[in-house]
Amino acid sequence: MTLLPWKRPVHKSGPQTSTFEDLALPLLPSLYNVAVWLSRNPADAEDLVQETFLKALRGFATFEPGSNFKAWIFRILRNTYLTSRSGLAAMRTVALEEELEERDDSGPRLVPEGAIDRQTPEVNLMRLSDRAALQAAMEKLAPPLLEVILLCDVEEMKYREIAAVLEIPIGTVMSRIARARTALRGLLQVNAPMPRESSDGGGIS
Amino acid sequence: MSDHLPSATLSALADGELSSDQLVLANEHLASCPQCTSNALAQSLLKSATARAGQRYAPPSDLQGRMARLVSEEAARAPGLAAPMPHRASWRFSSFGWPALAALLLVAAGLFSVQRWTQQYSTSSESAGVVTEACDQHVATLAVNAPPEVVSSDRHTVKPWFQGKIPFSFNLPQALPGDTTLDGANLTYLHGQPTAQLLYSVGKHRVSVFLRQRTAQSGQNSLFINRSGFHVTGFRTADLEVVAISDVDAVRLVDLADRIERAQGTALGQ
Repeated sequence: MTLLPWKRPVHKSGPQTSTFEDLALPLLPSLYNVAVWLSRNPADAEDLVQETFLKALRGFATFEPGSNFKAWIFRILRNTYLTSRSGLAAMRTVALEEELEERDDSGPRLVPEGAIDRQTPEVNLMRLSDRAALQAAMEKLAPPLLEVILLCDVEEMKYREIAAVLEIPIGTVMSRIARARTALRGLLQVNAPMPRESSDGGGIS
Repeated sequence: MSDHLPSATLSALADGELSSDQLVLANEHLASCPQCTSNALAQSLLKSATARAGQRYAPPSDLQGRMARLVSEEAARAPGLAAPMPHRASWRFSSFGWPALAALLLVAAGLFSVQRWTQQYSTSSESAGVVTEACDQHVATLAVNAPPEVVSSDRHTVKPWFQGKIPFSFNLPQALPGDTTLDGANLTYLHGQPTAQLLYSVGKHRVSVFLRQRTAQSGQNSLFINRSGFHVTGFRTADLEVVAISDVDAVRLVDLADRIERAQGTALGQ
């Protein structure tokens, strides 16, 4: 057995002297992007980011130097979102999702596994290269599924970081990401045009 | 292998989150299963496609400037706000006041029985790395659901199994709490060092206890933290560094760690 593949050194030698500005401002585009996805409204997203910055700044003294600032501030963003107007509206979905998740742990999946195999690889490639179709499918994801996809795929966070942001066990992160991808695949198939038998296939750019 | 890989495994494969053991098993299956190979490819393609599609909204051009101004205004209002404190112990003490200190002391006294709980763990980079690795090894062990390399509830079987496999020895506690059993052990590696992973069950909760040789980078002698929903506790002896991880309640985990600590027979510095 070797070291786990995701292991990467995150600590720099010497004491950390970064200021809040040094750490937070480079993350602004990521925070804003996720904020719009979650709140689905640019104006709300700006408010959300601003409030996140203020909360993070005021709580910065509690931030442990050398630990993961990105996960820390994303957790603040997420908690701020959950207490916002749009977040509260999504809370019912969150509760429902948790119920479904618990029931789903050992039972059959909501969307059958291997569903994508009903399509040819060429059709799958074409579908995935359709950015608008994929974004439309992502918009239809329940918030708990959307946020794990955003953190995992877009923000390239590791499961343990996502677990820290969402304050859930890694096992739940793992199953939730799998469910999110299964749901995405299902949504893409539902909205897909009928496959053509002799498609040349389209490369992903 | 007749069963297909579960979607969570395929998903973790695409994310590079499988442990090396899990990866070997997954690759063995993929080599003989076109359907799972196709699914694995689909997962990877979907991941890269969502990564691109998800980067959708760019902040307004003036937002960066506004946030920078906001930060500097707040920092000017409360000097020192924008710089982290070097140690949490000195965390804005003056703003708490003495009543808060008294309350904190009461809380600390209440938790004295689980002493590790209240101790600040100075997370040296190596310690943090070890805890993170250990945590994920534990999760990987749970996920694989495979029997341990040595399956035995007998400490006299488990301990000798490590002879010649690890450059140190350790003792296992003779007496365990009623609902705690030794399930077995694995040989693993933490930070590139051979490590014994003891597997216990406390009720239905699984516990991993990692023992490895103590290194030169030594932090405090005990720790208790929460990591990703798991309780992590540990201690160091003169020769060993031990980390125990589980989702079982903190008291029972600490109790098990205490018994293992006492079994080592060497006095520990606190």
